[in-house]
Amino acid sequence: MTTALGNFTALVMLLTITAYSVAGGVDYGAGIWDLLAGRGPRAERARQLIDRAMAPVWEANNVWLVLAIVLCWAGFPLLFQSVFASLYPLFAMALLALILRGAFFAFRHVDTGPVAERRTGIVFGVSSVLAPFFFAAALGAIASGRVAVGEPNIPVWQACINPMSISFGLVSLSATAFIGACFLVGDARRFGMPDMVGYFRRRAVIATVVLIVIGTMALIVLGLENRQLFNAMLAGLGTPFAAATVILTPVVGFLLWRGILRWYRLLSVVVVGSLVFAWGFGQAPFLLPGQLTIMQAAGPLGTEILLSIVTLMVVVLVLPSLALLVYLDQRGALESPEG
Amino acid sequence: MHVLAAFAAESALLPSRIQMAFTLAYHVILVPLGVALPTYTLVMNGIGIFRKDPVAIRIARRWSVVMAVQFAVGAVTGTILSFEFGILWPKLMGRFGAALGMGFAIEGLAFFLEAIFIGIYLYGWTRLRPRTHFLLGLALPPAGVLGTVSVLASNSFMNTPGGVTLGSSGAVVSVDVLGALFTRALPYEFWHFLIATYITAGFIVASIYAVAWLRGRRDHYQRLAFAIPFTVAALLTPVELVVGDLSARALVADQPAKFAAMEVTWKTQSHNPEVIGGLLNNSGQVNFGLSIPSFDSILIGLSPDAVAPGLTSVPATARPTIVEANITHLAFDAMVGLGSAGVALTVWYFVILIYRRRLPQSRWFYGAASLAGIGSYAAVETGWATTEVGRQPWIVYNLMRVSDAVTSAPGAFVWSMLSVLIVVYAMIAVVAITLLLKLARRWRQEDAIEGPSAPEEGVPYGPRRQIVREAAPGRSRRGNPGPIHFIATTIVLGIVGFIVLIFLAILLSLVGLGAAALRTIRGSAKSSSS
Repeated sequence: MTTALGNFTALVMLLTITAYSVAGGVDYGAGIWDLLAGRGPRAERARQLIDRAMAPVWEANNVWLVLAIVLCWAGFPLLFQSVFASLYPLFAMALLALILRGAFFAFRHVDTGPVAERRTGIVFGVSSVLAPFFFAAALGAIASGRVAVGEPNIPVWQACINPMSISFGLVSLSATAFIGACFLVGDARRFGMPDMVGYFRRRAVIATVVLIVIGTMALIVLGLENRQLFNAMLAGLGTPFAAATVILTPVVGFLLWRGILRWYRLLSVVVVGSLVFAWGFGQAPFLLPGQLTIMQAAGPLGTEILLSIVTLMVVVLVLPSLALLVYLDQRGALESPEG
Repeated sequence: MHVLAAFAAESALLPSRIQMAFTLAYHVILVPLGVALPTYTLVMNGIGIFRKDPVAIRIARRWSVVMAVQFAVGAVTGTILSFEFGILWPKLMGRFGAALGMGFAIEGLAFFLEAIFIGIYLYGWTRLRPRTHFLLGLALPPAGVLGTVSVLASNSFMNTPGGVTLGSSGAVVSVDVLGALFTRALPYEFWHFLIATYITAGFIVASIYAVAWLRGRRDHYQRLAFAIPFTVAALLTPVELVVGDLSARALVADQPAKFAAMEVTWKTQSHNPEVIGGLLNNSGQVNFGLSIPSFDSILIGLSPDAVAPGLTSVPATARPTIVEANITHLAFDAMVGLGSAGVALTVWYFVILIYRRRLPQSRWFYGAASLAGIGSYAAVETGWATTEVGRQPWIVYNLMRVSDAVTSAPGAFVWSMLSVLIVVYAMIAVVAITLLLKLARRWRQEDAIEGPSAPEEGVPYGPRRQIVREAAPGRSRRGNPGPIHFIATTIVLGIVGFIVLIFLAILLSLVGLGAAALRTIRGSAKSSSS
């Protein structure tokens, strides 16, 4: 019973992390393209689109992050303690980026003149790069097996900065830019800005190439660093997901390159989602590779039951509400009829 | 170099405590508006719809924008808090996460619902049918209540832990879900805090329109926006005094050291005086301060013979230090003083309302009312300081010390993080306040020329600004077809129904609150007679 519930909680946690990677990725990705847009009238138009696409998100993506955290500390208290005891610098950096980003996105809207707007825009863009990098670096550090159970057994900086954490961070950055560009293509079409469709299509294709290159390099690092996870991804539970990523990434690039603007957004979600799943399932049943299994870390039965009930409530209450929000948004029922 | 080395090697305990206090104190500012403002907005929205008052609709719409701004800031500061449990207190969560974390897990659910429905409510003003829009907004107050009860369940667990079995290592090995969620402190902590959020939100909103009155604005808009929140807050203020009194009394049995610190009682004794102000010194005497003989005993057990617990009834290593006791005591006195001032203002208001059958018209009254908002905030902050500082040195009462829960990260790391956070939080405050002032100025100008517009325009987290002028085909239709209304109704009724059930469960716990008070009175009467 506890095993089943523990596995269930772990799966829900993985799904939550995936949801954050996708929803947050779209959001952070837009911030990255904002930073890379440069200057000039075309860049201004791109920023206008990004701004408009991002406005309704209003920090709501943080719900996924908070949900992952609360599931972790209630469902796997020992995992939570271990991860934070070893990796607190990474989380502190990610967190800092997260607040700066929110604050400066808002700051940009307070009329202070073009120079200030550009400067605040840069902080916003840079923090959009840092947050996904450091969050993913934490996952990489976990995957590398350098996080000890309880207190750290190697210097904290070694647990934080190593080939695995850096390569996970870089993969996350390129995946974020990739999914961000894909969704901006869609937003440009939705808001009727044809010039921006082309603009972001080109960027999405470049991001696809970058993702493939960095992903391949990360896979090599993974093979050298953690053979077990590497094997599990190539021939194990993670395989179908790794395969999905490998096959579908070029497909999305191809669709956008040829201007076939169908399915590309859904497929980009599948690409990023499978990437996270490949890691999660590849690592199972370990939460900390080689040291702590789901079974060992699972909290008492009562807590796991409560978490299952909360999950059920999320399915029963939140998902329909979320569907309603998306439905209303897609129907244009949530637009402000100005103009 | 020595200084630097000493700095790097310093324990993270002090900066971690400061950081937690700072980020929590900041977050608490946003909580009353987050929990209670949706209710006030919906009341106004309801008045607008059912009494066909366009002014009320305009007010509700503007409040909803404020709601969205504060929610955005609160979402960020709340996320930071959840990470701080790991960065600053990893051992607390490692040992007690399975119990303490349950409340937060439910809070995660409530946060999710709030985020979604605030989004729908804010963006839905113009395109949704007014009643559908109103109905969707109804999901917000119960979600706020659910969030409050779940966070306070976690806090209550820290104050009066229960429902868990500890293993030999001290970690939780088995959890009785209901026992750990509904601990002894929950009924009084929950009601005391929930009512506080409604009072604070009501007074802070009303105080803005009290200032408007002082500046000479006295139209239907100002009267409505002042009277509704002020009346609700005024009705609740005396109730809060009673609930607060019950809470304090429950502490006599539940956390005697905290109660002793609040009253700066050194030795356990009957005929204990109530000390107002004053400072406890190292030898257990109180300097300065106003002492009312036997009054503390009377408050506890309705008799001067009732025994009040003293700080020395608890070993020195298990009770607040002298400094902590003084902070607890002064914070408690400040809270009670502010609460009493609130009751006086309330009496003033109702006397005029009932005998003159109109709103007050004295500058003095509106001067006082314009301070009520800030006063309530001060009361919330001091009340929160009372409960947190009074629990020291424990993070989980009698089970885990704060010093055992703190991170093993170097003090220098936490000090740096703290300094950065202070700067960033200050910036966020500047942005949020600038933004709200800008909105207020624009709304005033609009009202002056009577040209209503969409209040959400220009809000960073508001709806999209239109870039393309021509509407996409099929989007120009106003209102919505039936299915949305039906789906919305089903979802909202489901959510409201579910939370009402929880609410009923909590109402039952009120009975427990009364029982706790009786227990205390009987208990102290018994110990005074023996």
